[in-house]
Amino acid sequence: MKILLVEDDAPLAAEIAKALRAENFALDHAVNGEDGQHLGETETYDAVVLDLGLPKRDGIGVLQAWRGAGRTVPVLILTARDGWSDKVAGFKAGADDFLVKPFRVEELVIRLRALVRRATAHGANRVVCGPLTYDSGLGTFERDGLPLKLTGLEWRVLSCLMLRKDGVVPRGQLIERVYDGDADVDSNSVEVIITRLRRKIAPARIEGVRGHGYRLMPGEAA
Amino acid sequence: MPPREPEPPAPPPPKAEGVAGPFHLGSLQRRLLAAALVLVTVALVVAGVAIGLVLYRFVRGQLDSRLDSQLVALAAGLERGPGDRLRLARNLDGPPFDRDRAGWYWQVRQGGTVLRSGALEGRDLAVEAGRPERDYTDRPRPADGTGPWGESLILRVLTLPPAPGVPPAILVASAPSAALRGPLREAAGALALILGLLGVGLLAGALAQIRLGLRPLERLRRDLAEVRAGDRARVPGKQPAEIRPLVAEVNALLDQNAVNLERARTHVANLAHGLKTPLATLSLALSDRSRDPDGTLASLVGSMDSQVRHHLRRARAAALGGATRARTPLAGPVADLRTTFARLYAEKGLVIDVTLPVGVTDTSNAAVACDAQDLDEMLGNLIDNACQWCRGYVRVGAVSTASGLVITVEDDGPGLAAKAAAEAVRPGRRLDETVPGNGFGLSITQELAELYGGGLRLDRSGLGGLRAALTLPV
Repeated sequence: MKILLVEDDAPLAAEIAKALRAENFALDHAVNGEDGQHLGETETYDAVVLDLGLPKRDGIGVLQAWRGAGRTVPVLILTARDGWSDKVAGFKAGADDFLVKPFRVEELVIRLRALVRRATAHGANRVVCGPLTYDSGLGTFERDGLPLKLTGLEWRVLSCLMLRKDGVVPRGQLIERVYDGDADVDSNSVEVIITRLRRKIAPARIEGVRGHGYRLMPGEAA
Repeated sequence: MPPREPEPPAPPPPKAEGVAGPFHLGSLQRRLLAAALVLVTVALVVAGVAIGLVLYRFVRGQLDSRLDSQLVALAAGLERGPGDRLRLARNLDGPPFDRDRAGWYWQVRQGGTVLRSGALEGRDLAVEAGRPERDYTDRPRPADGTGPWGESLILRVLTLPPAPGVPPAILVASAPSAALRGPLREAAGALALILGLLGVGLLAGALAQIRLGLRPLERLRRDLAEVRAGDRARVPGKQPAEIRPLVAEVNALLDQNAVNLERARTHVANLAHGLKTPLATLSLALSDRSRDPDGTLASLVGSMDSQVRHHLRRARAAALGGATRARTPLAGPVADLRTTFARLYAEKGLVIDVTLPVGVTDTSNAAVACDAQDLDEMLGNLIDNACQWCRGYVRVGAVSTASGLVITVEDDGPGLAAKAAAEAVRPGRRLDETVPGNGFGLSITQELAELYGGGLRLDRSGLGGLRAALTLPV
């Protein structure tokens, strides 16, 4: 899962980035409204954490521009203004959730994971695929009821496939949703991660669709 | 718990002094009316005196010409009879000179001879002596005198100049002064009546004029009252030229007020941003257990946040209280809040039912007299509280009552006991520290509602949970 963080306050952004990376999220960071809007328009994200008081372009303006251009990425607004009028204005501009500063890391993480899950049309907190279960509240995977130990990259790949388990995830999109924007991506590294994941999640399996991408399947091939 | 500040003084009610009756001391109407009264009285007195003088001259003229014609007749009728005795050619005791002792007399004196009207009964008509050289004219002159019985008379005297061998003749005709006073008194009565009626009419006209002239002031007062009540934002500029500068000043004041309010709100928002961003950083930094092993620092951050929130809200509430009150239709904000809470509580999958009565969804009359932001704040807090505690169902309703619009927010949660409900609306009180949320919601809502002259009541809902009834003026 990859998050775009648009926050101008450097110390706060650093803390949020640290906290989100600790929860396995990939992260891009923009320090002003213009850069944030540009990134949101050109890159693929699972969710956006958007501060409202931004230099160059106000958060509401950025959000309206995205929604106007048909970008449906879930947006969580982060703001110091806690009046209901501000929240209503945020939701009217197209926000999906709202957090008032100061907030707890857990709150942010839970809300982000829920946003991403709902954006992929999963209503319930737990997503199941064969022996695999993903708990979006806790952000954990289980196989046959036992916790699955995953590295950060493995978690990103598996959660991405899990939330889109009914279809094929294109390889390019998978790479976009897994690596930070400034990461040096080795074209084989996704392949390496998939191979490791296949061993961990059996009997569920990850099917390679030639020339296209990957699909998570609940069990053995028929 | 944040300390409770002293309540800000309530704005004084408008003083009723300026709107008393027309005879209130210091009222414009009274002043104008008094001026009109003085003016009309002076005009009527002057008119009365002038008309009286004219009348006197007219009646006196009539009387004089009557006497003068008698004198002319006497002068024409004088002749020398046998023995050179002075006598009248014909009887000149025609009416009114024929009545006894009535004051209508005549007398002719030439040398030692005296001719008298019969009414004098042989007595003499006293005439003050004129100066001969001037009196020898053929024009009668006026004179005053008294009759033989002491009656007051109006006299006309004609002195015929002496001819050779003939002494001058003094001809006198008299009328009773009652003949002058009688018609004058009669005319004066009628005159006074007419002038009196005229005066009353003029004063009534002046009063109507004053009322008409001052009507724009009364209309201005109503406009201002409507501004105060929130029915209009500004005083309409279509006013008489004399009032237009005043209205411009009032509107400028209203604009200034709005600007100040907006500035205060911006300051509060900036303050919120400036304080809360570092607080958020601090809070995130402290989520690292090694930095804050026993959680005391985190709870300090929490209490700082509570204080900041509480005082920011108080500052916002204080920034309201201006002279103007906007009117906000209910339907829009409720619909927006419903969408907002559906998203905020998307994980809970709750149902928010909004049942506004027909009259309330009609935007023309379903407005409450309060600022849109404050309405959002009050309703937001109530619905938020309901969403936090409900099991899955929240109902928002409204009903018009005599005291205003009552908006109810109900949930199917555990509800609040009466004592806890009373506690919940204590200023700055946070009922449950364990449930995330602003915590001050209910007490802030009550404070805001009371600032607007409304109120908040908490009791049990038919759904099983809490029922919050917010009353707001319409």
